[in-house]
Amino acid sequence: MSMRWYVARRLGWAAFATFVILSFYFALIQLAPGGGEAAFLFSAATEGGDVQQAEQTYRQIRGLTGPLHERYIDYIVNMATGDWGWSQTRNQEVLTAISIAYPYSLQYALPATIVSIVFGTGVGLYSATHRYTKTDYAGTFISFFGISIPNFWFGIMLILVLAVQAPEVSLFGLQLLPLPVYYQTDVVLNHGWVSWENFRQLVMPIIVLSTAQIAGQMRYSRATAMEYVNAEFVKTARAKGASDWRVLLRHIFRPALIPLMTIFIAQILGLFFAGAYLVEVIFQIPGLAKLSYDALIAQDTPLFMGTSLIPILLLLLGNLIQDISYTVLDPRIDYGDR
Amino acid sequence: MATQDTFRDINWDDMGGVGLSGTGKQMLAFAALYLGVLAYDGLLLQDGLNVLLLSPLGMEGSALGQFVANTTGPTLWIPFEAVGLDFTFTWDFSGTDWLFIVTVAVGYFYGVKPLQNNPRLAANYWRQFKKNRAAVVSAIYLAIIFVIGIVGPLFLQSPEIQPLEAYQPPVFMTVPNTVPISCLGDVATNAAGTQVCQGTWAYPLGTTGEGQGILKLLVLGMRVSMQVGLITMLLVITLGSLVGTTAAYFGGYVDEVLMRYVDLQASVPSFFLFLILSYFFEPTLFMLIALFGLLGWEGTARLVRSEALQRTEEEYVRAAENAGASDGWVIRRHILPNVSNTIITNASLLIPGYILFEAALAFLGVTDPGIASWGKTISAGRGDLANAPWIATIPGIFLFFTILGFNFLGDALGDALDPRRGDT
Repeated sequence: MSMRWYVARRLGWAAFATFVILSFYFALIQLAPGGGEAAFLFSAATEGGDVQQAEQTYRQIRGLTGPLHERYIDYIVNMATGDWGWSQTRNQEVLTAISIAYPYSLQYALPATIVSIVFGTGVGLYSATHRYTKTDYAGTFISFFGISIPNFWFGIMLILVLAVQAPEVSLFGLQLLPLPVYYQTDVVLNHGWVSWENFRQLVMPIIVLSTAQIAGQMRYSRATAMEYVNAEFVKTARAKGASDWRVLLRHIFRPALIPLMTIFIAQILGLFFAGAYLVEVIFQIPGLAKLSYDALIAQDTPLFMGTSLIPILLLLLGNLIQDISYTVLDPRIDYGDR
Repeated sequence: MATQDTFRDINWDDMGGVGLSGTGKQMLAFAALYLGVLAYDGLLLQDGLNVLLLSPLGMEGSALGQFVANTTGPTLWIPFEAVGLDFTFTWDFSGTDWLFIVTVAVGYFYGVKPLQNNPRLAANYWRQFKKNRAAVVSAIYLAIIFVIGIVGPLFLQSPEIQPLEAYQPPVFMTVPNTVPISCLGDVATNAAGTQVCQGTWAYPLGTTGEGQGILKLLVLGMRVSMQVGLITMLLVITLGSLVGTTAAYFGGYVDEVLMRYVDLQASVPSFFLFLILSYFFEPTLFMLIALFGLLGWEGTARLVRSEALQRTEEEYVRAAENAGASDGWVIRRHILPNVSNTIITNASLLIPGYILFEAALAFLGVTDPGIASWGKTISAGRGDLANAPWIATIPGIFLFFTILGFNFLGDALGDALDPRRGDT
């Protein structure tokens, strides 16, 4: 099987999976009891409107009128053309609300991912080549800590220690502690995205998110590098007198980079998983997860469904790019198996 | 030693040769009893069965009197008067409890029993396992949590909301007297001259903002965590290894179809699926376990498949096929036992994930509000960090160590069970 055929098949599969997931969402919306209808009718009634008319309007907005197959086609076409519905609570297009929230998520998730990739890979490689040393044990300990500590509880404990009960500490006129408890959107408006004030309120979210990611990254890169530590070509390199650093960078890191690289891509795209969801809720960051959570609490169905679709689509995209980049980067790959 | 082993009597019953072995009979007896009581509970009573063990002295207590008055359906009474004990315990069987009983039974028949029958193998595993100190400590800690989590809630009524007893500090702590509405413990004056409230033994770990004892919530939360972790793990392991071994053994179209489905399932993370379902339907603990168990096994299936692919190439599988063994027999008797090490390690590493997810979802407030989960208590203490930091801190410590314990345990089991990892 040629590479081109494999990539084409993989693309087709991604499209099919997206289609299945959209159909699943459609079925849920159709089956769902209520879902904000009561609230809508209530507001119509209190404003003196006709309840029956309001009900009809509501069903029209939600796309609950007409025969099932027409509704289904409408839904799929709307989703494909970027018409994801109207958010009642925010008085906005769902996609507009998402595009406003997205930068807020990105501003802490991107640094956290970069930190965890650099640090996690570094420590992972180091402990793979220095097994049974103190550093290796320390690395293992950190990874167990990072995997085991519940994200949301860690965030709360950081708030307790660094914000609520922290003493006042300043350095060169810059206030270090206590940190602000909750994220303030005004700060971005007054000081800009890249400013000390904005950074101060992002420190805790970045720490919380990167702790969990570092742990995973470290375990994975340690395991990957371990496969090459005792490889013949590494032994040869050592035998001819290459320095530790050269062996690590040129002989272990290079082949290990391919599986690691594909993971990086998936990680950067799949920023919004369970961990990030809770981080935004705890620190009140008005990003994608907070948008989704608020929609859930306020029973804003189109917004909630839209925001909860984003991580799933990103995951699909991430897996797609991961698989394709693997075939591009690794010359040894065998397509016959897939 | 070696000479004794040379002529070993082979008990063909134990080898599954003729008829049912001792364990088989026990399993059958258990299954019959279980299904009988389950049918009685589910079909005849509609409402849950209540087991009530009590001494008549206990009836004087008003809480129990209320409980008896409120329960519908027959109640199994076991008087304790004869033994001279003065305590009561109650257990209202829910769907989750029924699943949990199966989980514990499966753990006994497939985990403890085989080790009992093979003392030498057990001793060998134990030698490997005890090398890892952290894992031994974890195992002890988890065993304690497990036992308290099962036994404790039987003796506890669900905590009542008592606003007057809110914000009591733990016994080892003092807080300014303005924090609790009324201080149950001693009120003292500290060096700075302000009045402080001391914790009381009535609530050893303090109370929440609603006046619920944190110790009580912790014990109830242990049961929830153990149930979620263990039941979900059993479901995932069962489905995952079934699909994984089937796909690997049959190959071809079966493999393709099963693995494409796995891909599809993997693209919808269970965490988000539960969020979505909790939006549309009334969330319960049973729903959470069912969702994570029935739709979260893709990782296990992939892992088992990749391992089983190597096993299907082995000579013994071909020998069994040539001897006329059926597909089911080959999978059950030859492939499954030989990938069981992978499965067990994977199982113990899955548990902490589910406990964490349950706590996270409870923290978000999208699970059953009537269930005393650790995550819910942490969430309740979130707004009171300045005044009452113990509410969010204490359950979190238990959650953290439980997850850490399972991670250590899984890692050590992997080392002990996998011959290839033994000396690395």
